[in-house]
Amino acid sequence: MNAPHGPAWEFLLLFVVVIGGPLLLERARVPGIIGLLLGGYAIGPNGFGWISHANDTLPDLGQLGLLYLMFVAGVELDLALLREYRRSALSFGLLTFAAPMVAGTAVGFALGWSGPAAFLLGSLLASHTLIVYPLIRKGGLGGDAAVATAVGATVLTDTLALIVLAVVSGTTGSDASTWEVILRLVAGFAVLGGFCFYTLPRAARWCFRRLGGERTVRYLVAVAGFLAAAVLAEVFGIEGIVGAFFAGLALNRLVPNEGRLMDRIDFFGAAVFIPVFLVSVGLILDPRVIAEPRTLGLAALFIVACLGGKMLAAWLAHLLLGFSRAQAGVMFALTAPQAAATLASTTIGYQIGLYGTSVVNAVLVLILVSLIVSPIAGRRFMRGVPRPSAADRPLGSRVVVAVSTVDPPPEVFRLAARIAAPDGGVVHPVLLRRESDPAHDAAAVSALEAAANAHGVDGAAAVVVDRSLPAGVAHAAAAHLATLVIVDGPLWSDGAGVAPPAPVLEFRGAGCALLHAPASPDLAGEISRRAAAPVDA
Amino acid sequence: MRWVGALLVVVLLAGCAGGAPAAGDFRPVVGGELTVATATVPLPGFWEEPGGFEYGLARALADRFHLRLRVVRVPFERIVSGDLGGADLALSQVTATADRERVLDFSQPYLAAAPAGLARAAIPDLAAARDTRWAVKRGTTLAAVLAGFVRPSTPPALTVDEPAALTLLDAGSVDAVLLDLPVALVVADRSGGSLRVAVQVDSDDSLAVALPNGSANREAVDSAVRALTDDGTIDRLTKRWLGAGARDVPVIGRDR
Repeated sequence: MNAPHGPAWEFLLLFVVVIGGPLLLERARVPGIIGLLLGGYAIGPNGFGWISHANDTLPDLGQLGLLYLMFVAGVELDLALLREYRRSALSFGLLTFAAPMVAGTAVGFALGWSGPAAFLLGSLLASHTLIVYPLIRKGGLGGDAAVATAVGATVLTDTLALIVLAVVSGTTGSDASTWEVILRLVAGFAVLGGFCFYTLPRAARWCFRRLGGERTVRYLVAVAGFLAAAVLAEVFGIEGIVGAFFAGLALNRLVPNEGRLMDRIDFFGAAVFIPVFLVSVGLILDPRVIAEPRTLGLAALFIVACLGGKMLAAWLAHLLLGFSRAQAGVMFALTAPQAAATLASTTIGYQIGLYGTSVVNAVLVLILVSLIVSPIAGRRFMRGVPRPSAADRPLGSRVVVAVSTVDPPPEVFRLAARIAAPDGGVVHPVLLRRESDPAHDAAAVSALEAAANAHGVDGAAAVVVDRSLPAGVAHAAAAHLATLVIVDGPLWSDGAGVAPPAPVLEFRGAGCALLHAPASPDLAGEISRRAAAPVDA
Repeated sequence: MRWVGALLVVVLLAGCAGGAPAAGDFRPVVGGELTVATATVPLPGFWEEPGGFEYGLARALADRFHLRLRVVRVPFERIVSGDLGGADLALSQVTATADRERVLDFSQPYLAAAPAGLARAAIPDLAAARDTRWAVKRGTTLAAVLAGFVRPSTPPALTVDEPAALTLLDAGSVDAVLLDLPVALVVADRSGGSLRVAVQVDSDDSLAVALPNGSANREAVDSAVRALTDDGTIDRLTKRWLGAGARDVPVIGRDR
């Protein structure tokens, strides 16, 4: 009989923690993330010691999870909201970054820390993770201006926080002069920016078009994309997570939040990579260190600096940007949670020897407190914010392409993709059938999906059977909560006797379309602009 | 008034958190000096006169803590029994084990060090290893591997240090010496081809800085080892003093 050891044993422990940790803690109404951290502690060298200090497997997997986490943070941000509310998002982004950044840096210097350690502390308190966003969205406030502003501001805060991290880690432990480091970082950001925002989206789009039907390939292209960006960043002495985050932002438009690729990215992230990272952080967790007065004192200071700074920023948004008190409260609830970027920066600070275990454990206490406080604040302040109307959804957020054949002209998908892209929306191809038509087969749906995928469309194909084609159009629009329906040819007429819940755009061949909607020149103009073709209303 | 109260709370918290550096505070036993204990000087690759991997590591730690370096010799048995002879820490190819953690604190590992057999002839498998006459430094995890896993048919010669074991090998009194892999590689490299690393035992053993039990300096030393790993110092020292890693050395499994 041998004691259990080796990779199989380590992965078993890991997955037991990933399954059991969140389940147990969520029963006690504690966020699941804490269960993963505690589970990591339990199996780690400070707990039962099943995973030793010398083990490389779990920390290496955790590193991959960290890159994945930052990629997901970038790819799932709603850039359409940032664009729509750019002024308030920019102003609030600067406020909610600057207040905790200044407070955190001041705390660091007050404790006698070195400049890099103090600045990194400020930046990790200044970032935030939109953990409360699903709760707010579920409450019907996804389209509220304050919520959109806070979500848009996240792009700015996380980017700035990661730039501070890049500068700090680039200058720490380097023998090069300050100018050499600055030059290397500037060159690194230029090359990284060029790769992420020029080369990567084009390469990914090319791959998606050429290999669009291969679901696995689409996912692997996204993974390879963020790994390439991470490697490129590291070549220039910039932390890999900065590259991964930028790759996420760069692929944001190509990976609609409601598309299947995003679903797959979320699935693997939630099931494996991100939990593994959190468990690997838990290996550092040490309750004996947390219980020390120094750690508790540090944690209290971090909480005051971080939550105080976030609260101050929300209050200034109320005073300066015209948001109501309740809206400012929701903005605080959205920007207070510390998880992804905070953990990422802290982990890097720990790895480069800038922070000891006391600081890491104090940050973990801050994360726990922020994750408990922010949902409570979110529920409390949501009640005071009026729900925006459902009609406010962006035009391209859910486009349905209704066709009656499995080989529609490719232009119809290109048109749909162009309209959806500015809103980061998703396009769903739908095959319409009359009840009197012969039964369709699964191959027809696959063929339609493959045709759509080849033109950059990421939505799942479906079949709608109804008494008539116009009734099918209305049915498909309602089933997919469409914001726009594009029909291939004369499948719809205003006299059909059914009312779809979204405007219908009739595709009439290359460069020509007819909009069926209540008189709205703005809508026709917007569609014309996005389609780069005239649209008759 | 509320702001004044909040300010007082913050000042109180800052006092509680202390003014220690973010990476942990290092307080030497003797002011201005980092006292490092080691057992065997010289030891090929690790403690040369002058230089060596562990010497370089000690020097880097002293530089990081802005202290002068002082090296003291303490027998290995005393180090692993928790007596560092008044030193701040020990750098003496100490492997962190559960038994030793009862009497010592350890930093995170700085070097992987599987047990390796240095010999003149090949030792292709466990059966051959059992028929080999071994020498090993007493009181080490290597001696425990030899007794518990290899179980040679001839009882091994237990020596006071590595040079004594190598003397037995030179004299032909034993066929092989069990050493930490990095030490074995350096000795083989310098033997002019007469010795080779004939076998290694599958293991995740690694060397760590040993500190007195309950040392308040552990956090600072731990952070320092991570920093020296991250900035490439340990990698540079490894390449400079220990050379390339093991290639084509047969590995024999080990029940853990």
